[in-house]
This record gives sequence, C-alpha cells and structure tokens, in this order.
Amino acid sequence: MVRSRVRRPPTQQFRLANGLRVILAPDPASPVASVWVWYRVGSKNEYPGITGASHWVEHMLFQGSPRYGKGEIDRAVVSVGGELNAFTDTDFTAYFSTVPREHLAVPLDIESDRMTRALISDVEVERERTVIHSEREGNENWPEFRVEEELYQLAFQTHPYRWEVLGRRADIERLTPAQLRDYYHRYYGTRNAILVIAGGFDARSVARDVRRRFSKLPASGEDVRVTEVELPARGERRAELTGPGTTPYLQMGWRSPTLHDPETPATMVLDTVLGGDTRLFAAGGGWGRAGEHPSARLYRALVDTGLAVRATSEWRPREYPGLFTIQAQAAKGVSLDQLESAVDSVLARLVRAGPTPTELDDLRAKVRRGAALSYEGASRTGFRLGYLSVLRSPEYEDELFRSLLHVTAPQARDRAQALFRRESRVVVRYTPTGGAEAE
Amino acid sequence: MRKLSSLADPLLLEYCDSVDGLRVVRQSPPAGAASFSATYVGPAGWGFDPPGEEGTAALVNLLVTSAAGRYDRVALARRLDRAGATLARQASPEAAEVTLWGPAADWKELLGILADVVLRPRFDPEDVARVRRQLLERQLRERTQPGSRAELELLQAVFPSGHPYRETGLGDRRSLGHVTRARLLRFHRDHYTSGGALLVVTVPSRKSVVEEEARSQFGRFAETTGPSLRLPRLSSAAPGRRTVDLPGRSQVEVRLGGPSVAQDAPEYPAAYLANEILGGRPLLARLFQRVREKSGLAYHASSHLDTMRFGGIWTAQAGTGADRWRKVVPMLEQEVDRVRRERVSPAELSSVRESAIGELPLSLETTAEAHALAVEAAYHDLPADYWLTWPSRLRAVSAEEVRRAAETAFDRNRSVTVVTGPVGPT
Repeated sequence: MVRSRVRRPPTQQFRLANGLRVILAPDPASPVASVWVWYRVGSKNEYPGITGASHWVEHMLFQGSPRYGKGEIDRAVVSVGGELNAFTDTDFTAYFSTVPREHLAVPLDIESDRMTRALISDVEVERERTVIHSEREGNENWPEFRVEEELYQLAFQTHPYRWEVLGRRADIERLTPAQLRDYYHRYYGTRNAILVIAGGFDARSVARDVRRRFSKLPASGEDVRVTEVELPARGERRAELTGPGTTPYLQMGWRSPTLHDPETPATMVLDTVLGGDTRLFAAGGGWGRAGEHPSARLYRALVDTGLAVRATSEWRPREYPGLFTIQAQAAKGVSLDQLESAVDSVLARLVRAGPTPTELDDLRAKVRRGAALSYEGASRTGFRLGYLSVLRSPEYEDELFRSLLHVTAPQARDRAQALFRRESRVVVRYTPTGGAEAE
Repeated sequence: MRKLSSLADPLLLEYCDSVDGLRVVRQSPPAGAASFSATYVGPAGWGFDPPGEEGTAALVNLLVTSAAGRYDRVALARRLDRAGATLARQASPEAAEVTLWGPAADWKELLGILADVVLRPRFDPEDVARVRRQLLERQLRERTQPGSRAELELLQAVFPSGHPYRETGLGDRRSLGHVTRARLLRFHRDHYTSGGALLVVTVPSRKSVVEEEARSQFGRFAETTGPSLRLPRLSSAAPGRRTVDLPGRSQVEVRLGGPSVAQDAPEYPAAYLANEILGGRPLLARLFQRVREKSGLAYHASSHLDTMRFGGIWTAQAGTGADRWRKVVPMLEQEVDRVRRERVSPAELSSVRESAIGELPLSLETTAEAHALAVEAAYHDLPADYWLTWPSRLRAVSAEEVRRAAETAFDRNRSVTVVTGPVGPT
C-alpha cells in the first residue's frame, strides 16, 4: 500500500527582520548543498516598453558587483565543482547554485551580495543586449515558441501575462541601462525574496550564518502584486501563423485557475486525463512531463489514429489566472482542420461524461507515487520548496495533494464544462511553408 | 575537501556474474535515495542499420518501449504510471539503451518489466505505423532546424560513406519505407542480445540478490557473441566550410568539428581536460568567455567531445544572429587552434581540473545521475573503481599533455565548419 502523503523533508523556516524568508532543508547524508534565491519578480511586473526586464536583470546579476567582478561569480562556484544558473518566469526569478557541501559559504556570500549590490553597468548591459537577442532568436527558430507567444498575446489584453518572458524584440532593442537599474532597485530585495538551502549541512550553524550575512541587508523590494485584472473573454480568438517548420501545429488555450484556486485540483485531473500527468505530481517525481503518455486521451485520439505525431495538454501553476493549453503536431498529410476537429471531439466527450473510474483510479495511483519520490536530491528539493513558496507555501502541497486524490468524476466533468467553452478559447494554428518540409 | 572515499558506494561498481553472456553490474544508489534505475545496453545502435534500411535501429529502439510481453501499448503505459516508474530509451551509433526508473521498493517487479521490454517486445503493426510516422516528422525536423541540420551536415562532411558515425540514425523517407515488421523482428533478434550487452542496476540490494534477479528475469537469452561494427578507414579531408541557408529562421548555428579519439585512448584524460578548457566546462571555458562574455555575440558557445568505443567526434559550436556569424566563426577556429598550439597556464589548468573533480559529488545527487555514471563506466568496461580514481588521473595530467591531446583530439586537418540558418543564398 502506498502512503497517501507527500514525502517532503523536514524544514526549518524563519523570517529575518528585513523581510527575507528563509527555508532550510538539511539532509545529513547529502554530499552537496543547494542554495536557491527566489524573487517574486517576473515578467508580470513589467509593462510595455520594458518587457523582458526581469529576464535581462537575471543575466546582469552574473555580471558583477563591487565585491565580485565580471565573471567572478561563475568562477567562484564552478571552480569548486559547483554548478549555477538562473531562470525567469512570469511570476518569479530564481537563482541557484549547487556545490559540494563544504563550499556552502560560496553561494551564500554571492547571493547576499547580489541581492542588492549588482552593478548593471552601461557597458555590460550593451554587451548583453546581443546575447539576449541571440537567446530570443534561438527560441524563435521553433514554431512552438512562436505559437505560444501568439497564444498568450491573444488570450490576455490587460494582464502582463500577455508578453513573453524574454520580452518583445522592440523592447530588447530599446531598454536602457538606467531602466534596468531602476527595475532592479525597485523590486529586488529582502522583502520579495525567499532563500532556500537544501542538502548536507548543520541547520543550526547555517541558520546562524544566514542571519549574519543577510540581516545586515536593508529591508527593500516594492510591492510586486499585479493590479490589472483580465476581463472574461467575450468570444473565441484565433490566429493563423506561417513560417518554416515540419507539419502543421496547433495550440488551444482556455483561462485557467491559479495554484490556490479551489478549482485547481479538478483542473489538474483534466490535465492528467488529457495529457498523461500534471505539474507538481508528475510521473517520475520530476518536474516537466516525462516522455509520451500513450494512455492519455489526447494521445489515443490523435497520435494512435495517425492524425498527430504529438499531442498533449498543459496546466501550469501560476499566481494569477493563466492558461490551460492543448498542443498537437499533425502527422504528415493531416490538415489543421482535421486536427482541431479531433481535439474538439476529445473535449466534447470529457465535457459530456467526465473521466472514467479507471482513469481516476490510475490518476490516484500515479499521483501517490509521484509525490513519494519528488524530493530526491538537494537541487530538486531546493527547487520544489522554493517554487511552492513563491506561489504559496510548501505546506500547501499537502492540501493540494489531498484534494487531488478526492476529486470525483462529476466534479471533473463540471470543471470540464466550465473550462472548455468555445466562446472563451484561444486558438493559434501554424502552417509550415517552403524548404525541406515541402519534400 | 571532503574525502571521496566517504561517497564510495555509488562510485564503486560491482561486476557480477554474467547471465548467458550478459554482463551484469550493480551500483549502490546515493544515501537516502528511494528510487532505483536499471539500464540494458545492447549492440543495437544505428551503426548496425542494414544498408538501404537506415532508421531500423531507431525504430526498434522506440518500439521496444512501446509494448512488450502481455502489455500492449496502453497497458504498458498504465502499468508504469501506476508504479510511478518511467521508461526511457536512447541510441547512439554503437549501442541502444533502455532505462527503467522507479521506486526502489518495487525494483524486482520493475526489473521484470525491463526484461519484458528487452526480450519480448511486441512490434504490434499499429505501433510500427505510429512510430514510423513520428520518425518521419523527426527527419523533417532534423533537416529544417538549424542546430540539428548543422550536426547532420558536419557528420556527413567528415565521415566517409558507410561509417557508423556518419549518420544520426533517423534514416530518410525512402530507407524507412524499406523497413518491414519482419526486418524489425530480425534486427531485434540479432541486436538485443546478451553477447556484447550489459545490464546495470542501481539498487540498495546486495550483489548476490542482483545476480539472482538478473538471472531470473534475463536468463532467457539465446546466448550469442553479439555483432560487431565495421569501421571504414577515415580519409584525410581538407578543412572546409559548408553553408546551408534556412530562410525564415532567426538564429544561425555554427559547428566546427571532426573525428576524434576513442574513450580508451591513452590520452583520454588529457583530451577530456582540453575539451573542458576549450568549451566543455560551463561558464569557465574559453569559448563561452570569449564569444559570449567578452564579445556578446552569442547566447550559447561551447565544445563537446563525444568519445565512444571505436572513435569519437568533437565539435565547437555557437548559436548567433544572421549579422554576427561571420565574426563568430573565426573565434571558434582561433580558440581551437590556440588550445592545440599553446600550453594552458598552470592557473587555468588547475581551475578547470579542480572544477571537474569537485563536481563529482553533484553527479551523486539522485539515483538517476549516479546511475548514468555507472552505465558509462560499465559500457566502456572500465575498472570497478574508475570513478573513485578519476580525480587522481586528472591530477596526473600536465599542461603539455593537454596540448598534445588537443592536437590529436581536435584534428584540424579533418575538421569542417558548418553554418546553417538564415544566412542568405550562397
């Protein structure tokens, strides 16, 4: 019998007087320590003209401070055998370093420094501009990126989720060093940060070290809540894109609830039934969707039948209502109309009858197993604790887990009826043109 | 510095008794890990594709994990899902792998599923049709995406016809059209064998228990010696450049590379360090520092040394804009030449070397990561303490040995530069 609980490691949590929230997850057996700083700052805090600022600041926090010259942050961590990186999302930016446990002081020193003292010099901003362009161009090579960017742009007319995290091309061209510095000083600081440390360390001495290093930072970081509210859609929105690619590609989106919405567990059930698993409790204890899910409805209806080579769904936990999406890549010779019609049929059946008892039973078994193995390794633990904290709290995972296991078929059906309404959906279709794909 | 001996268990492999010629290796998972991993590696890479039927190995590799034994495709997926397990596969020119990951508590039952997958795949006709469709789309993607197209062009430029490293394993529309179900069954019979294959199990159980379970689950192979690869001699090709215009794309991909040394080459540790210095060590390496950090010309700039049993492939690469690639190409060429020509300074060598040694504990965070180390060592039949002694082998390498290894491993007489993306008509 598999236990019905999340196997989360014990943590020590406290908050410093300057507002910094600290979560320690010691694991005496671990040979490494993973340090994460999560800022509640993401592309949601930008506005037209400075889109992409959060991501650009993420790059600049590796480019030096009075204490660490350019390249010295990388060298300090990598030279002790550590790895470091960062990523930006709509709702947050996260920086992490995982190092052999005896070098834990290295990332702690870096993070306490760059939380408020990054330089963001004119010279380095200009040098980074082409790097940012290049990152965006690399993504633009993929039709999936272009389609998703269009999908969110169509779906949101007021809320900042309407632009891509990398920012609009024109804004990347025009953003000034002064604007980036202003953005950094306004939002990055102790009040908007969560420090998570996981792995092999003594909690008492590390707590002391954290207090020593971070307590002296000033309380800073302006309110990062978004006040814009997206009004309900008043009709279907569609776009047709063309460009290089292989076969026609389709994405559909519907406005979906936040992580903490009461409708979320039922939405996660729909994601699992349609796509095979769901974020937070994915098979394998990992984060993203692991491989194909041939037992999922979209796969069986589209891939098995020869209409598509890939088909899945995605719900992402967010701070504000986001999108529940379906993606499908046509098999050669299959039109977008055929593909779209097949997706409609799958959804119509789900809306009419909800999930089957077998599907719900499978889901519960899968979710229990996923939850049991989701905290293996210091890096994964740091990620998961930070992610849950930046959107809600680690403990909220238990509530979500229990709710997910108790969703009934009628509840999931009702949720499907509310979610998959044609008048509130967004559809972006991509038709490949020219080149080798025409062979 | 923490002593590596305190991590001895996951770094120390245990070679077990073979099962009908199948080599069996056991590894301890990292302390506290609740998962297990098992991988079968067989002589089933695309280097064994029958002439004119390229793509066969890839099809078989995809199909073995689709349906096996009493499980059809949906039943197998449900069985794995309910167990909280995942099944992954990958192939290279020389070998094909299937890896099962799941809860350690159920490892014996899950090992049985892996045995089913390896020994008794079903090759149901509808699965064959589906996987063929998916592979055809991947072929198109490979030819139309600048990154994968650049890699394909590079391999075809530096390896002669018939060489297993010349292909990427996907075949083409015509070759896939020649592959029948009977051909797939034959390929599976001849290549998912015990001879030339191995089973690596990372599990918190004793060696004798692993041996017994391996015998029980996998002891039904018809014992064979396993096929071996034929490798045509490499010719001395003049350095050259290929440019492929892919209009409508945003990013240009640059690849500079060629044939390299095998994993068992005596200079391998020095070649490994040479590659780390050139572009392999994230953030510290010269390509990243020069192309991205100093010049701001690209988002990614790195190098790779892929050493296999019979040879290797090296590449220096970057992704850049259509207006910038002409500046990036000479930078890649100059940095490759510099690591071949000049001795690395003691400070740079020390920094890169200690970084490579220091990261070993990071490779032991999860069962899956530790398992990957074991599979690599076991595939190359390396000593049981290979990873324990890896730091001392790296520390024994001198700056001059790094330079000489770079000369051999990054052979510019056989290298080619490939540029793909929106470069305009050439």
